[in-house]
Amino acid sequence: MSQPADETEALLQFLYIAPVGLAQTTIDGEIVMINPLSAQLLLPLSSDGALENLFAALEGIAPDLRNRTESFTAPYGTICEDLKLQISAGVPGRSEARILSLTLLKTGPDRLMAMLRDITREVARELLLRDSEAWLNAILTGITDYAVVRVDAQGRIHDWNKSIGRLTGFQPEDVVGKPYSCFYPSDSTTPERDLDRLREADASGWSMDEGWRLRADGTRFWGSAIIAPLLDHGVPHADGTVSDAEQDEPTYCLVIRDISDKREAGERIREAASCDHLTGIANRRAFFEAAEFELERWQRAPRPLSIIIFDADHFKRINDTHGHPVGDAVLRHLATVLSTTFRQIDIVARVGGEEFAILLPSTDLTDAIAVAERVRRKIAAASVDVDGKQIPYTVSGGVATMDASLAGLDALMKRADTALYAAKAAGRNRIEPAPAT
Amino acid sequence: MTDASELAFNTLGLGKTLPTLDNVALDALDYGVIGFDAQGLVRLYNATESQMAGLTPDRVLGQPLFTVVAPCMNNFLVAQRFEDAATDAVALDATIDYVLTLRMKPIKVKLRLIAEPGAPLRFVLVNRRP
Repeated sequence: MSQPADETEALLQFLYIAPVGLAQTTIDGEIVMINPLSAQLLLPLSSDGALENLFAALEGIAPDLRNRTESFTAPYGTICEDLKLQISAGVPGRSEARILSLTLLKTGPDRLMAMLRDITREVARELLLRDSEAWLNAILTGITDYAVVRVDAQGRIHDWNKSIGRLTGFQPEDVVGKPYSCFYPSDSTTPERDLDRLREADASGWSMDEGWRLRADGTRFWGSAIIAPLLDHGVPHADGTVSDAEQDEPTYCLVIRDISDKREAGERIREAASCDHLTGIANRRAFFEAAEFELERWQRAPRPLSIIIFDADHFKRINDTHGHPVGDAVLRHLATVLSTTFRQIDIVARVGGEEFAILLPSTDLTDAIAVAERVRRKIAAASVDVDGKQIPYTVSGGVATMDASLAGLDALMKRADTALYAAKAAGRNRIEPAPAT
Repeated sequence: MTDASELAFNTLGLGKTLPTLDNVALDALDYGVIGFDAQGLVRLYNATESQMAGLTPDRVLGQPLFTVVAPCMNNFLVAQRFEDAATDAVALDATIDYVLTLRMKPIKVKLRLIAEPGAPLRFVLVNRRP
């Protein structure tokens, strides 16, 4: 049976101009079908100038592709998804690091489908946002005032200087010997996070964060903090002596700057990139990025770390009965409850249609369950006001905590998802913890 | 009229000859010819190219070459060469080995890239490699 010629031609053109790279190969990577965008992305990488084999073309940037495919023994499934392949590192200030994203599916015993995208710009935008903005804020612009603080290896403030008093209004006896977190609102950091920053400074030469800071009178200002290790170890006491133990202890320089007037501009850029359009809280990508970072910290120094996944109950029914504007109002209400209930240090994000995830650093399963319960009760007792009409709704939640048996973030989320499913199955408007292993 | 059979793919000075050919002569050539203007819009698409790609000229004429018609050439190997030649106002006549995705099959071809400063059309010639 043959199709009408113009229909075939339309299909051809559809594939010619498809804005993603697509290729079909044999299980050995021999290219059977390939569209132009794939060729555009792959040809400059191919060392022999021929596009016969996908694995060969990607050899330079994904040498393990053949191996990944061989060790994937199931007849169907995803071999890799959105694997970031760095084509070139780029030259700071001159050229961007070029990055391809590859998804490889096994669609039959001898058939692979590949999808390729150039995500150079997306990645560069993210990096720019993170680095240049933070650095510029911290160093070049809008400095109202600053404090320089010497900190020991445990994060305790070593000695007093006038800049501390000028910026924060603290007295010497308020701060000397105290953890440097006395400059942070209490819900925005934990003792573990305080030490993480020092370890990150050890590893990369500096560590920087932006956020609310605290003055002695309890008022807040928007500040940036840079921590850098001091090269000569040991800080002499007032009498000039340094004990042997202290000789080996690293010390740090903490610079806190008041950048209140830069906050608004910076926040706007950040929101555009990492906030969910409907609810204004972090989006999925931002959640994964922040959570991966927290998981890395956990891997370096395990400590309690929990996750809650909430899902609005019968959300489809709400949409079908009252219309999408009401559904949207419910999601916004839920997002508001979440962002006002959790601490600043917690990562609150919309990760799916009606699914929200919260990562809670330095929080064990019991405490995570307690706060999840609080949210559930709060929502069950409230209702959403839409044009004078009160719409009640409930949520279910699954709670899980990180341990060494879990490979990473995905495994942790899967565990919380399983608990969420159990809460749904048990009748909704419930919180279920994942069974401990 | 020039006899098309004399105008082999590697004929010297094709950049001067091609603009003088009419459609019948262009269609008689046994290699693909794509002509595009300074804006990158396809203005000429001969029968051989149409047959190899599986697209009739009316789907292609007036469309941007490097984004809609042949995105696989939108890289430093092809598109960049034309841009550089235009920026420097110099002639371009280069033949390169390339792989095109004609009807989604990877096909080895030789591409001849031709641009004359100030000329209304630039050309990509496509010849299948044996």
